[in-house]
Amino acid sequence: MSFLVWLIGLGSLVVFGIIAVHLLVALVLIIPTWRICTRAGFSGALSLFHLVPLIGLFIVMAILAFSDWPAGEARPRRP
Amino acid sequence: MGFDFAALLGLFGLSGVFALIGLVLAAWMAWRIVEKAGLPGWLGLGSILLTLTAVGTIVPLILLWIFAFMRWPRDDETPVVALPGQPPAPPARPGMLPPPTQALGDRRPWRLNGLLPTGGTVAIAVDGTVPAYLLTGAAAAQANELSVPDPSVGQPHARLLVAGGRLGLEDLGTPGGTLIDGARLLPEHGPRDISAARTVRLGSVELALSRS
Repeated sequence: MSFLVWLIGLGSLVVFGIIAVHLLVALVLIIPTWRICTRAGFSGALSLFHLVPLIGLFIVMAILAFSDWPAGEARPRRP
Repeated sequence: MGFDFAALLGLFGLSGVFALIGLVLAAWMAWRIVEKAGLPGWLGLGSILLTLTAVGTIVPLILLWIFAFMRWPRDDETPVVALPGQPPAPPARPGMLPPPTQALGDRRPWRLNGLLPTGGTVAIAVDGTVPAYLLTGAAAAQANELSVPDPSVGQPHARLLVAGGRLGLEDLGTPGGTLIDGARLLPEHGPRDISAARTVRLGSVELALSRS
């Protein structure tokens, strides 16, 4: 029984650690992405998609890459 | 045991394919994002591909921070509405749409009407007798100042520009922020043509744009 409690405690600690690291990494990504989104004319809250594991980064990048920026885009470069 | 080993290899192979697809997608999207900011697209592609090298993800992360806070070439392009006293915008390059700097025939004054959070109303008339106005949260002290009496509006908050029957707006970087039809306007965007806009938000005050 005590082994089971110990196992559950260890598991909880590991899960907590994973979540904490994930939040920390997300925060490091959210801050610059918030700035990029607002400069592009989108709501900065879009950057909170980084909190979604694995695909969050791709969602934010897809929105920025494939939609027209409300604040305007650079003119196409000459070939 | 042999079967388990083969399954494990298959799993690694599958995750490797996913990683490759993700990398290609990320590189493509980074190319497009960086190009929209006015930088060469290969810079975005290269920064993503750096994750394949020994420097791992640290360098792309640093580059992301630099990209977010650096000055973008897009911000240096010709503003939509020319500032008073500045030369007009140069002609567009071949193959491009010209910037919308043509004068409008309609010369009626612009009106900005809205409700204040305190319950009062604000009505501003922009007749164009002055080429540039300052929108301020304080009481108007000069002929070129327009008052939006609310604590969320900076003192001054933004600049209104009138040229050729068109109306432009430039944010002056106050904490309350400025939005044009819900899209945030930042100081680095410079003056923007709001002749076709419907609403402008200064701090927490939303103003409807019309002509009278």
